[in-house]
Amino acid sequence: MAQKEFSVVGKATPRIDGFERVTGKAEYTGDVQLPGMLYARVLRSPHPHAKILSIDTSKAEKLPGVKSIVHSFNTNVQWASGGLTQKRMIFNNPVRYVGDAVAAVAATDRYIAEDALELIEVKYEKLPYVLDAAEALKPDAPKIYPKGNLSVGDGRVTAPIREQWGDLEKGFKEADKVFEDTYISKHVNNAQMERRVSVAKWDGAKLTVFASTQGISNARGDIAKALDLPLSRVRVVCKYMGAGFGNKNQAQDYDMMTAVLAKAAGQPVKLEFTREDDFIGMHGRWASEQRYKVGVKKDGTITAVELNAITNMGAYRKQSGDLTGCDFYNIPNYKKVVSPTHTNTVVAANYRAPAYPQSVYGFASMLDQIAFDLGINPYDMFLKNRARLAKGKNQFSSNAIEACIVEGAKKIGWQEKWHPAGASKGPKLHGIGMALGGYPFRLGLGAATIRLLPDATAHVIVGVVDIGTGAKSTMAIIAAEALGIPLDQIQLASGDTDVTPYSIGESSSRTTSFTGTAVIAAAEDVRKQIFQVAAPELEAKPEELDLKNGIVFLKSDPGQKMPLAKAIRKVESEIIGRATTNPTWPEGIDGKAFAAHFCEVEVDRFTGQVRLTRYVAAHDCGTIINRLTATSQVKGGVVQGIGMAFTEELLIDRPTATPINPNYRDAKVPTHLEAPEIEVIFVDSHDPYGPFGGKCVGEPPITPSVGTIANAIFNATGKRFKELPITPDKILRAIQV
Amino acid sequence: MDEKKGKGVSRRDFLKRVGAGSVGAAVISKGLLDAPGADAYPTEAVQPAKGRSIVSLKVNGKAYRVEVQHRQTLAEVLRDEIGLTGTRIGCDRGECGACTVIIDGRNMYSCSQLAVWMNGKEILTVEGLAKGDKLDPIQQAFIDHDGPQCGFCTSGQIMSGKALLMRNPSPTEAQARRALSGNLCRCGNYNREVEAVLAAAKAR
Repeated sequence: MAQKEFSVVGKATPRIDGFERVTGKAEYTGDVQLPGMLYARVLRSPHPHAKILSIDTSKAEKLPGVKSIVHSFNTNVQWASGGLTQKRMIFNNPVRYVGDAVAAVAATDRYIAEDALELIEVKYEKLPYVLDAAEALKPDAPKIYPKGNLSVGDGRVTAPIREQWGDLEKGFKEADKVFEDTYISKHVNNAQMERRVSVAKWDGAKLTVFASTQGISNARGDIAKALDLPLSRVRVVCKYMGAGFGNKNQAQDYDMMTAVLAKAAGQPVKLEFTREDDFIGMHGRWASEQRYKVGVKKDGTITAVELNAITNMGAYRKQSGDLTGCDFYNIPNYKKVVSPTHTNTVVAANYRAPAYPQSVYGFASMLDQIAFDLGINPYDMFLKNRARLAKGKNQFSSNAIEACIVEGAKKIGWQEKWHPAGASKGPKLHGIGMALGGYPFRLGLGAATIRLLPDATAHVIVGVVDIGTGAKSTMAIIAAEALGIPLDQIQLASGDTDVTPYSIGESSSRTTSFTGTAVIAAAEDVRKQIFQVAAPELEAKPEELDLKNGIVFLKSDPGQKMPLAKAIRKVESEIIGRATTNPTWPEGIDGKAFAAHFCEVEVDRFTGQVRLTRYVAAHDCGTIINRLTATSQVKGGVVQGIGMAFTEELLIDRPTATPINPNYRDAKVPTHLEAPEIEVIFVDSHDPYGPFGGKCVGEPPITPSVGTIANAIFNATGKRFKELPITPDKILRAIQV
Repeated sequence: MDEKKGKGVSRRDFLKRVGAGSVGAAVISKGLLDAPGADAYPTEAVQPAKGRSIVSLKVNGKAYRVEVQHRQTLAEVLRDEIGLTGTRIGCDRGECGACTVIIDGRNMYSCSQLAVWMNGKEILTVEGLAKGDKLDPIQQAFIDHDGPQCGFCTSGQIMSGKALLMRNPSPTEAQARRALSGNLCRCGNYNREVEAVLAAAKAR
């Protein structure tokens, strides 16, 4: 489909709320101050698995300033989105990991709340525990749940996760060679800058929660269900949000804790996690052990892939625990069995493209190794096996993965720079690597309202929360384009369930597609009404009119025109357009955004240190709505991958089962010094199902990054690193052998 | 306890912050400081409670006298007592730099400075950069170059960038990167933040 000319879409547009963000005026949840507001803190379990026999709060209650204390003996509130396979409460008994919430205190200031935590006396009966996922699946392992540690729980979802197509046995028979190997990834934390915080106040029977959430509508639903309130009596507000990368979807336990504390105290309460709470009290990316069996022809063509894997979900299963890194390849015969497993460790759940980067690392490393063993250039290996069908059968709605590979390789100079792995000599070993990635492009439920005022400016009202992606700006740009008025005439209202319509929430890279489609439909509704009103003014029929850049004109004679404000001068109040859209894929079609990443590294032979010298990220995201923010998304995703590849891993002290690096310094998230210039390419692409042809941007960039880096390190050293993170000590040990 | 020198006001003149009554924290504005009769500091009325002191400091050119708990950090006092919430707290333990402000010309983590140490200090926060609606060049550059993604680290990045430009008006890229290296950005927007600082240097 030919791409049409856009007036706002596709340009590099600064964020519509840039002023607020650079002046400190943007109001994040932690900035909310209410009269009489209390501060709350959470007490956490020091034991990995224990029954709570009693909680004595009498000393804490006597501390002046303490207003309310809640715990599992006086609070019976379910955290619906906290457990996919089990009924999880906001305070659980038994506690199942070091960090499981035991009690929360609200007091007149945060220091008193912290003092009070130390005065709460909890009697525990310690239970046997297990920390390793593979250990947890053994028959004699301590059972965290009655049905065992494979996450079947109450049976709401099945485990293991199975996926299969083609004929595996036939595929392996057709293979000239079969390769088997195991790759291991570790738990890493989302580590968003804004600590989780929630402010709750009750006005009679109405609850308002200022939440730091990626989805106000889902948060409202979760809170209403947990506290048995009608939806209309729960208001969730989130104006600015300091990121989450998947760990602030919906409502979390602290939102409910805050509401319950506020109810008990009769005063508003602000609950703030400490940074340590944030690292252990919520979740990070699931660790995995991935066993691959891959059949290939002599020329490298894949004939069959079998993946058996264990993912460590920690004490509760909030999300899938799946591994989906094979999505970007053409695999005629495929079988996957992934076992999400419980251990007495920090919970693992969604973190930016939850099932991808660890899995892409494993499978892209497999293919890179097979290419080496067969004497094939990895570029040819990846190009040859790139995805052509979804799940072995469906067509993609658009697919520019080949352009990503070709253009990215050209940009980095692959053909000139590539050399066989281990061929680099000298004190600094040069390496170059690549991997493929992407993310499902989804269609689904969105809603939007547009109010066009008599002066031709508009309120666009959407339920989105801008978690940093630039979604507010994206929605305003889509509205301006769809309405045909300049961007600066758009005001965006978002993030308040009492005001804004439903939104799926900013997760799974869906906002542009789900809500953007609704914004276009609402704009069409407004335009129809405009043309009705404007037709007599221009002495034409409504269907003969068009509107662009704030000018209403005759399609057949653009000279016949009138400014929008004049054309709608008879409108006294406003024109309201609204839409709820819910498109679905036609049978046999699937959506996906694609990416091919390339990087060069320099490995110091004497220290094992790796320097990323060049990084090129080529993406097929469909039409780019805002080139400025989309580019930033890609750069940021890659930087997160750099942390996961090189340094990040939640370490647990085995004798005490206690996380020992739950903070930025020890978790070693990347700083300015670790981030190279990331060169971003958006290949020409247009998806017929996306708003103005757009697919998605937020999650794809992290997916190939870890595998790309790992393959470059292989190319430099000739050594394959099968466990993340790839730290200097591991490299040094390997290359000195 | 703090020395009571210079200007003072009686306790009833303290402008109590909304909701802070039970905590006993209080802030006075520049206007109250300059009010007639505000010079003498009556001994009894102003004796702070145990564990508290009165601190005089300048923030963004305005003088403040604030009663603080000894365990309160500058970041908390800026946010909760003075109401300047543009200074964000990301870790509260001197690791992330979201709370960076400029103290007597140097960029520092305000979460790692106790408020009682701030007597006589001049503090510049992100709110003090713009002159009315006219943004500081570094703020404009952060908008133009998409410096903020989620925006939570942005104030800190800007203040470290500003401190760099105050001492070195034309930094190299390596210098800019080094100067911002104490400011984490989990959105990973490092390229953009360095770009913005370099663009601000050119714009001056």
